[in-house]
Amino acid sequence: MALHILKRPETEIQALAQALIDAKQQVGLCSVCFHLSAEPVCEICRNTNRDDHTICVVSDSRDVIALEKTREYHGKYHVLGGVISPMDGIGPEQLTIQSLVRRVSQQKPKEIILAISPSVEGETTTLYLGQLLKPFTRVTRIAFGLPVGGDLEYADEVTLARALEGRRELD
Amino acid sequence: MYLKTLHLQQFRNYQEQWVDFLAPKTILVGNNAQGKSNLLEAVELLATLRSHRSTRDRDLVREGELMSKVSATLERQTGITDLSLTLRRNGRRTVALNSENIRRQMDFLGILNAVQFSSLDLDLVRGGPDQRRTWLDTLLIQLEPVYAHILQQYNQVLRQRNALLKKIQSSDEQSSEELTVWNEQLVSAGIRVIRRRSRAIALLAPVAANWHESISGSTEVLQVKYAPNVVTADEHLDELQQAFIEKISSRAIAEQHQGTTLVGPHRDEVELTINQTPARAYGSQGQQRTLVLALKLAELKLIEEVVGESPLLLLDDVLAELDLHRQNQLLDAIQDRFQTLITTTHLGSFDAQWLKASQILHVQAGEIASG
Repeated sequence: MALHILKRPETEIQALAQALIDAKQQVGLCSVCFHLSAEPVCEICRNTNRDDHTICVVSDSRDVIALEKTREYHGKYHVLGGVISPMDGIGPEQLTIQSLVRRVSQQKPKEIILAISPSVEGETTTLYLGQLLKPFTRVTRIAFGLPVGGDLEYADEVTLARALEGRRELD
Repeated sequence: MYLKTLHLQQFRNYQEQWVDFLAPKTILVGNNAQGKSNLLEAVELLATLRSHRSTRDRDLVREGELMSKVSATLERQTGITDLSLTLRRNGRRTVALNSENIRRQMDFLGILNAVQFSSLDLDLVRGGPDQRRTWLDTLLIQLEPVYAHILQQYNQVLRQRNALLKKIQSSDEQSSEELTVWNEQLVSAGIRVIRRRSRAIALLAPVAANWHESISGSTEVLQVKYAPNVVTADEHLDELQQAFIEKISSRAIAEQHQGTTLVGPHRDEVELTINQTPARAYGSQGQQRTLVLALKLAELKLIEEVVGESPLLLLDDVLAELDLHRQNQLLDAIQDRFQTLITTTHLGSFDAQWLKASQILHVQAGEIASG
């Protein structure tokens, strides 16, 4: 990348440098969902065309970007800012869980989708949030399983077991 | 399975060494501290990604070097596979099959199977429960490579839960909701470990008892029994879950006081008894050797049965320690079915016929010469 940049005209490089500085100075967190945002409230939260009744909970802004790329999800998000990990001194208090609970009790969404990686810490966070949010509304989690184009016979035991756990009725 | 070649690069005291294995039995002869055991250790690493002598990769890299590589060509019924393991002084190890890097180490395990038998194995009888757990886990990793993942998950839950208990202990706060979730995680990860361990011992125990009977001349009865920390009347999943949860809550105060997890398979034991007496208390050194030999032979047979091919046997300085009767029992059991690598300081104690059929390699100061 450095070599590529060196070959570009100087004006372009200046614009890029300015963009980086602007990003650093202006981008903060959305006050509603904690996704990266240059405004106090992010574009996704402000978008009135999006479904207000569904909140998808992710650990990181990167996950929002990944999910947005699919164009399959039209609800709102909530970014936790990490996962529960006592070894790193991260408990529920260090994440945006309190804000999430407040948001859920005020907005009363119809569904909360938990989309957190199935690592030991991610799984614990999912279980914790499940217990916390179930009294308010319907809580679901995304399924984990076989990659599209993957052959059953080449899937490993761990993935297969997860896929079995997350099986569903044929519709 | 047959190990055809081994290539060591900057591994322990080897600079660069190729070894071609030309007979089912290879005897590595040399004085102490020349590199005989290092060679066996390299094979053990390819089989289990563990070494019973060291837990840090930096110890395995030759002094003054940053990287070390162990590669091998293995022939199995399904075909020929090239395995390689790269170790780094500062950094993560990487593994490759047929020159292709493998992302998950789990997929590397179970390609090469080996049973290691060294003089350190007497600690199986004399040592603490952790020695027997490590032994059982290493065997399980070879029988079911996915167990490596299961065990790693459990250990991760354990570390996290211990960190939380420490935090609760030092701050007097009640983070009981978070602890409840870690309890659930401990139970579900722990049960996977318990069930597999229990299954492995159930398979191994009768085989070990048979071997022991035949070596000791049927005067003594060996019992290998899995003694899990969480005990249930039957093996049913719900029962086990229930018992686990109950035991956690019964020890809750002690756990918060001590700041560490007191319940779970990290406190399991494998009981070894001879004529219903704990082997540690019972045996003379000779009897303890018989017991370890029976366990090792049982491992060999079990892997052969489960995997469908005979694993390698690595005999590290043990043959000379066995008396003639036990030596013959062992050699009878191996015959030519199991490729065997043997280290020794002198060839004198070997049967002449046996020597004739073996490939003999001389090891001196990190170099190997055929002789």
